[in-house]
Amino acid sequence: MSSDANCEKMREIGAELALGVLPGRERAEAVAHLDTCADCREFVRQLTLVGDRLIGLLPCQEPPLGFETRVARSLTQQAAADGRTAARAPAFPVLRGRARRARVRLGAAAAGLAVVAGFAGWGIGTAVETVTAAAPRTMDSEPILVGDMTADSAAGGSPIGEVYAHPGSPGWIFVTVDLAGHGSAYSGRVSCVLERSDGRTVRVGDFTVRDGQGHWGAQAPVDADAVSGARLTSADGTVLARAHLQTGHVLTRETHVPSQQT
Amino acid sequence: MRFPVGRLPDEALLSGLATGDQELAVVFVRRFQHRVFGVAMAVTGDRQLAEDVAQQTFERAWRHAQIYDSRRGSVTTWLTTIAHNLAIDAVRARRTEPVAPEDLDALLGTVTETPERWALADEASARLRAAVSRLPREQARALMMAGIYGMTAQQVADAEQIPLGTAKTRIRAAMGKLRTTLSAPERGGHVQ
Repeated sequence: MSSDANCEKMREIGAELALGVLPGRERAEAVAHLDTCADCREFVRQLTLVGDRLIGLLPCQEPPLGFETRVARSLTQQAAADGRTAARAPAFPVLRGRARRARVRLGAAAAGLAVVAGFAGWGIGTAVETVTAAAPRTMDSEPILVGDMTADSAAGGSPIGEVYAHPGSPGWIFVTVDLAGHGSAYSGRVSCVLERSDGRTVRVGDFTVRDGQGHWGAQAPVDADAVSGARLTSADGTVLARAHLQTGHVLTRETHVPSQQT
Repeated sequence: MRFPVGRLPDEALLSGLATGDQELAVVFVRRFQHRVFGVAMAVTGDRQLAEDVAQQTFERAWRHAQIYDSRRGSVTTWLTTIAHNLAIDAVRARRTEPVAPEDLDALLGTVTETPERWALADEASARLRAAVSRLPREQARALMMAGIYGMTAQQVADAEQIPLGTAKTRIRAAMGKLRTTLSAPERGGHVQ
């Protein structure tokens, strides 16, 4: 079948492909075509977005009483069983890599489907039934160090990123930066360095920035009493951005429903 | 300094979740549980099954947080997709009967309703909701069957007692109109 014929066929079945309801053989053929046709990839990407949005129209609902407690407890028990709270690596999302879903993710369609297949048969964890059943309440969590990233210039300027450093056990750090907001389209590896109030620095990890944008998280020892700031440096040691960190507290509140969508 | 959890980015919470921090796990689950449970309920129509699906969703998100790709969508979308896929799998494992017409109509009504609580929804969702409501009934039903319940075109054809080609055409036509709506540059994009 010619490429044009394949494209024409894709116009017919793209919706079913994007919704994840195309039967296996047709899906395999369609995915193979997507690997070679940018126009059809874009076409199906748009339809996939429609499918995502459609699911997003479903109404939120109140889960059973005690649900969050059961799930949170189950997660932490599994974490303990895995040794994740000690030093399980790589436990952190590098916030890159391949999305997984039953629908086609463009650019990695075939592999994406394989990932989805790998998820089949996941066992349902038994919920712990010792329910506290308390109504959602406001509570304080452990302190967290937070700060806005700014470009490393004498003039300071508007924030171009944020840093969150959690001193718990294990501690972790999350950084998001958008250098493009300061006119830089830097691409490459950057190092995240924690600054201590005694003047010493601790490099906690590297991540990749593309077109000035990047975000990264990792486990890291965070001493709330000693850490005063964070900075990002390029491979040649140039400081791209830095943040002064202050101690804050995470406040939880009831029934927060995010509106973040793609 | 007080730091509202609403300011903590979803990605940051996901990072913290991966460490096994129980407090962050509670915050994470509390933030997304209504969305996840809502999707599970809409697809399964069974509170116990939906709870199982919702719990599975959070467990899977926790276990596979490292492959989350923020460039491909928000944490909300990622979780919603996981919940949707798990719910469809759960229903496929149990359901032998086609979707009851009244269930489908109720779902369609919910998706297209525009009460005050949707007033603050983002514009694209509002446009999509309006576009779904303008679809011919038979196309909207086919769209719900395929897009929400994960039914194949053949299953739609069987449920609606229509030829397979007609079912495919309805799904394609509905999706095409919604795609046009989302692609429209201005508010109130017209559905063809």
